[in-house]
Parts: sequence; structure tokens; C-alpha cells
Amino acid sequence: MKTSREHPSMVDGEVIGNVEVSPNHFRLTLRLPGTFSTPSPGQFVMIRDLERREPLLPRPLSVYGFHREGGYAILVLLYRVAGLGTSLFSRLRSKAFLNVLGPLGRGFSVDCDVRRVILVAGGVGVAPLTFLLREGYSQTNASGKTQTTAYVGARTAELLTGLDRLESFCDLRIATNDGSAGHQGLVTDLVRSDLNGCNPEETFIYGCGPAAMIRSLGLLVRKTAIRCEVSIEERMACGIGACLGCAVAITDGKGLSDYQRVCKEGPVFNILDISPVFFSNE
Amino acid sequence: MKLDKCAINPVGLAVRIGGLQLKNPVMTASGTFGYGQEFAPFCDLKRLGAIVLKGLSLEPRPGNPSPRIMETPCGMLNAVGLQNIGVRAFIAEKMPYLRQIDVAVIANIFGETVDEYRRIAEILSHVDGVDGIEVNISCPNVKKGGIAFGANPDVAADITQKVRGETDLPMIVKLTPNVTDITEIAMAVEAAGADAVSLINTLTGMSVDIERRRPHLANITGGLSGPAVKPVALRMVWQAVHSLKIPVIGIGGISTADDALEFLIAGATAIEIGTANFINPSVTMKVIDGIEEYMTRHGIGRIDELIGSLITDPQQ
Repeated sequence: MKTSREHPSMVDGEVIGNVEVSPNHFRLTLRLPGTFSTPSPGQFVMIRDLERREPLLPRPLSVYGFHREGGYAILVLLYRVAGLGTSLFSRLRSKAFLNVLGPLGRGFSVDCDVRRVILVAGGVGVAPLTFLLREGYSQTNASGKTQTTAYVGARTAELLTGLDRLESFCDLRIATNDGSAGHQGLVTDLVRSDLNGCNPEETFIYGCGPAAMIRSLGLLVRKTAIRCEVSIEERMACGIGACLGCAVAITDGKGLSDYQRVCKEGPVFNILDISPVFFSNE
Repeated sequence: MKLDKCAINPVGLAVRIGGLQLKNPVMTASGTFGYGQEFAPFCDLKRLGAIVLKGLSLEPRPGNPSPRIMETPCGMLNAVGLQNIGVRAFIAEKMPYLRQIDVAVIANIFGETVDEYRRIAEILSHVDGVDGIEVNISCPNVKKGGIAFGANPDVAADITQKVRGETDLPMIVKLTPNVTDITEIAMAVEAAGADAVSLINTLTGMSVDIERRRPHLANITGGLSGPAVKPVALRMVWQAVHSLKIPVIGIGGISTADDALEFLIAGATAIEIGTANFINPSVTMKVIDGIEEYMTRHGIGRIDELIGSLITDPQQ
């Protein structure tokens, strides 16, 4: 069962923190009205600076952290500066306001009966997985019922982001393309070597990262019976299922495929449901 | 003491499109408001002048591959490819919800052949809760349809006539701006029996990723919408108003009440809000409030006094 969907709302959020945690990667903390629904792990928000006409469209960002404090909802997001929108976000200082729409989409399934949780993240893909771990598995982890390993990859050591919020909750394995930290190579290489001996019934893999990472994770998982859910990215305009911009090709396994909306049926999908067509844009 | 502004100065916002009376001139543009329900958390749907639904075809259509959208300066390109669940699934799955809401519902239809338009119109004209039909002869996304129908006055008139033959519902024909002279097409569909025209649909555009030397859209070209197209839309609406007797519905980059008022003053009887719904899902409510506030401020009692009130004579 996937986690249930709360009612979305649109609110103004006050910036109370916007810290560069690694080059070009920022952790943004927003204070929202207490009426904002509690997001499930894997859900996302659309954010936009209301003072500007450009960029036109809001930007989708996965929830990285969420808690309630003094009648307010505190929302934490992690983003990489990738274009005009995120570049403007990076210049925001405390007391600035952003418009927040959410929580949106369908999040990760949490199965408290599993004994082993494997997180596979590329770059800012750590954001929804960190929230999943802390919201979905913190109790079973604390009691020793589940054991969690997070595999985090980046191009180079300085681009590894968000490790501080993960390492106290799980075993951490690092991979970098240039070998400047951890294993030299792909994060999925590390996962492959550790999958041997996993009991598929008691294991759950969660992934979030670039399409190339999701593709190789899919190839790995396909050979096992381990459940695997991934959060994927696609350009979107509205975030609420109206624009049909964020289509992802979903396969029924028999070669037939259909489009689903990343914002509504996703952003979390069973990795085996994603058609290979999804990866052809890379 | 706080006074209810509606109670002191009720301004008349109602407009008429063919036989259809709308509470106010603010409608939603097809393809930007889903089937209505998606926006219920953000809008009081019954306050809308009308909901124009996502375009319907006879059979379901999967749409185009991704990427389907790309943001451009003050606008966006889309090549969704008219993805929809088909007219029969729409009636079974979406109409029951819409029937519960006290709002005018306008079905937007398109086909790959003239006969397909006729058949969808035939089906929809007997569906309880459908209050009008908007005929899309203009979508530039579908290689076989769209542009070929809407760019030729004879074909546009033919479709209009065939749909007219199937339905007594108010019929709006939605026009493409990708033509040399929009008044020629507008007059052709008026003569063929349209109750109103709506314009503009998206302008065909393109965007290139220079690093990868590929088009940003999988479909290569797409339809441009958003504030970038507003001046073009306004000019075409003004031209259409001056060549037609039937009402003109203005569409194109309307994001605020001020934008909507420009179209109304230029002669549009109503307006449709499109891309702005993606940026702020409750924008339609703000536009209705803003029009009302403007009328109160200018002492305009009925919206008819505002529609087409543009002063072009420099001596006046």
C-alpha cells in the first residue's frame, strides 16, 4: 500500500534558512501556516517566488524534512542550482516569502515488516529518501527490527550532499565517479555487490536520482524479486494533474505502455512499471 | 462596521454566449483545468462563468512522448498531443462529479476527421450536464488534425456545419492564430452556424537545447502559451470582434483581472484563463474578484457597459 494522500493547499512560506550545504546545493527551510497538511515521504511541493514574473512556472521539489513547531509547519527542501528558478531561490535570504503548493503526489510505500531497507541516491536524490528513512523507518531502525543501508553517489566528493542527515540513521556507503570519496564508480555497482544474500521477502529498495542511475538500478532489480520503488523527475507545469506535461511511459510488462502523470500517479513508481522509453531522453 | 461589498453594490457580471447564460465572463481554457475536479481544493467551482474541459476525442488518445513541456521567456511550449480518456469514458467517469456542481460545463471536442467531430457532437448533445460545446479546429500538435482544419476557411466551415447539424447546444468554435488572416476563418465559421468563437489557441513554436543540440520537446514543435502571447491574442480578438456579430471569447496569456479587462474592453464577451491555472490554481477566483472590484471602482453597474468600450478615436 502506498502512503495516503493529504489535502493539498497553497500557502505563503517564510524563508527561515537557505544554506549552501555543498557547492551549488542548498537546504531551504520554510515556515508555513499550521494548516499545511503533513506530507508523506516521497511527496513534493511546487514553489515559486510570487514577486517575480520570471520564471513563470513553479518548481517541483521533494520534501526533505517536515515538522511542526509553535503552531507552524516547518518544511525543509534540498535543491541543486540547475537553472533560472533554482538560481533565484539560492539568493533568497531570511524573511523572504515563497509560495508553496502541496503536499502533492503519491509517496513511497512503507512496509514495517521488512528487515532490510536499501536506499539508493544520486545527488539531491537523497532528499526524499532521507525523509522516508526518518518518517517511515526511524522506529523500526531504532528497535533494531530493520537495518538500513544508504548508498549515495555523486560525480565528485564535494557534490555529495545531505550525508549529515543520513549517517546517524543508517550505514552509509559512498561512490563517486572520480574516486575522490568512497568507491570509484557508480553507486549501483556498490548496491550490486551487496544484494547477494538479501532475502527478497524482507528487503525493500528505494531509489531517487538521475535517469541513468534509475535505469541501472532497474536492471539490477529485474534479476531479483526484491521490491523497489523510485521517485522520478519530469518537467511539469502545474503539479496537480492538469497540464499532462509530466508524462512517464508505464509498461504492463507485455510491451504495451501508457502514460501516467509523475505529479499525480507518481512521483514514486514501482521501478519495474517504468517503460524503457523513459530512459531514452538521457 | 464591516460591510459585505456584494450587498452594497451588486455589479452585474452575467454574460450570454448563444443561448447560454454565464454568471460571469471568466471561463477556464481547455487543457489547463483538467475535468474540473483537480481544481476543487483551490477554487469554488460554482463561482466560475464556465468550465471548459480538457479536449475530448471519440477514442482515448495516449498523447506524445516526454518531454512534453518547456518553459520559455514569459511562456511555455507544450506538445501534450491531446491526451485524453475519450468521450465515452469521460461521460461515465467524469460527468457524475460535474453534474453535482452548479456551474456551466462546456465540452471541448476535436477529431481526426470531419466525421469524427460530428459523431462526438452527436454523443455529447444528449449528455445531461453538458451545457455547451467548444470545437477545437486549431490545435497545432496533431500532425493529421489541428492545423489543417483550422487554417482553411472552407474546412473550418464544413466542421462547423456538421457539428451544428448534430446539436442544439451553444457551439463555440476555437480558432488557431497560426493563419494569415484570422477574420477570414472567423467569418466562415460564423456563416456556418457557430454561436461564438474563442481565440487564440497556442502559437506554434520551438526551443532548442544548444548543449545537446536537440529540440527541448520530443515532438520538436509545440504550442506557445502564457503572458508572452497576450498582445498577439488581444490584437486578434479585437480584429475578430470587428468582423463578427456573434460573441468573441478572448484567450491568450490572461493571468490577472487587468489582463481580463483588456480583452473585455477590446470587445470580448468572455475570457478563458489557461496557463495561469498552472501557476496559481486559484487564479480564476482572483480574476473574478478583480473584475468586480474594477467595476465598483469605475461605477460600472453591468458588464455589458464595459464590453467593447475601447476608445480608439483620438478626439474623444
